[in-house]
Amino acid sequence: MLEGLYAAAAGMSAQQEQLDAISNDLANVSTTGYKAQRVGFEDLLYNQVNQAGTSTTTGAGALAGIIGRDGAQGSLQQTGRPLDIAIEGEGYFQVKLPSGQTSLTRNGALSLDGQGHLVTSDGSLLDPPITLPAKVSAAEVSIASDGTVSAGVTKLGQIQLVTVAAPDKLLADGHGGFTTTAASGAAKAAGTVQIQQGVLEGSNVDMGTEMATMMSTQRNYQLASSAIKTQDQMLAIANQLRSS
Amino acid sequence: MDLGLYIAATGMVAEQTRQDQLTNDLANASTPGYKPDHTPQRSFGEMLLSNTANGQPVGTIDMGVQLGSTVTDMTPAGMHDTGQPLDFGIVGPGFFAVKTAQGVRYTRDGQFSASATGQLVDQAGNQVLDQQGKPITVGAGGQVAGSALGVFEVPKAVKQGENLYSGSASGKGTGSVRQGALEESGVDAAKAMVDMIGSMRTYQSGQQAIQAIDQTLQAASTQVGSLSAPG
Repeated sequence: MLEGLYAAAAGMSAQQEQLDAISNDLANVSTTGYKAQRVGFEDLLYNQVNQAGTSTTTGAGALAGIIGRDGAQGSLQQTGRPLDIAIEGEGYFQVKLPSGQTSLTRNGALSLDGQGHLVTSDGSLLDPPITLPAKVSAAEVSIASDGTVSAGVTKLGQIQLVTVAAPDKLLADGHGGFTTTAASGAAKAAGTVQIQQGVLEGSNVDMGTEMATMMSTQRNYQLASSAIKTQDQMLAIANQLRSS
Repeated sequence: MDLGLYIAATGMVAEQTRQDQLTNDLANASTPGYKPDHTPQRSFGEMLLSNTANGQPVGTIDMGVQLGSTVTDMTPAGMHDTGQPLDFGIVGPGFFAVKTAQGVRYTRDGQFSASATGQLVDQAGNQVLDQQGKPITVGAGGQVAGSALGVFEVPKAVKQGENLYSGSASGKGTGSVRQGALEESGVDAAKAMVDMIGSMRTYQSGQQAIQAIDQTLQAASTQVGSLSAPG
């Protein structure tokens, strides 16, 4: 008899999961290279009661979880900084985190560290690394659409793009980057390389969609909570059977 | 006389089941491709009452409420555009087929993604099948044409959770696949809320009937045969 209460509670916690994902997306509406989360809902197990000739099934609620990310291109924002680069189409920059781990990111806000290496905004080296000679300043660097980094006529290196079979299954590492998992497949060279200099890729979070989803999530949360209230009232009615 | 107690109780049990189903429907108000459940209620067979003194029939009495088998309302719901290249919805009747460890299962939730081996899979990692029952490879740029997905007609689909249905397909479904869209949950929130209130009040009526019969029984057991006036 208490199953109904738990089914409704499961529905509420599923909506909570969706709301958490929306909050995270909204908080990252200005994060360079951020990709919005996709939330999936599913129903839970069904309890089947067989009685003479009939079978009644009652469900156990719902479950939600983040099933991946929206792969859509974020809007390209002109910054004019020579070391800001953005990827058009598929692919990720491969960087070496200070911990030694490899990470994939679409945030191309690069800068120079003390030794003249090109590093991302959190200080990770590009992989393979690119070093500017001491006499070359950032303003002289030009980055071609195929990733060739040069100063004047001198080629300094090549920015390589990688991709994975299932970008949906990449694991966010909390620094704006992603690590590969068994489900995403290993990183391999991207098929096409299209890089723009002086541009950053904005977050692909769409405020309108997020707001609309937030409203429907809130309403559905409310519906599940009304269901709990009704279930509770029914239990109260059952409890009052012997009150007279 | 105490028959009435049990008749009222069957009504309460039936409303409890209805309430549990409505709760599950409301909990799944955001589940893509979810279909609401209904359990019909009908009366138990009537019983003929007869006069114990002379055997003359007096009339019939209903024995309360009996639950029928649960029916899932498979009416297609509206589509909601998501713009995600691997979201699919079936416009009209039919199911997508996925290959699970337990065999082929069917679903109307088309929220798919690519696997590490480049195949189209559902949320649990089960391969999505085409009309010939073969896995589908995600093409360049992470795209799959809607026409590549199989749509099957499953006459007696039974819900088993995780948005999956078991059953056996009998040919191609008449629905067409739309890419970049998901089917909304089939739950009508307003109707479910009204049904919920109605069901709760019916449950309460059952309780009132039981209490009334109980009071009558109490009077019979304490007042019949007593010489002094009650009070």
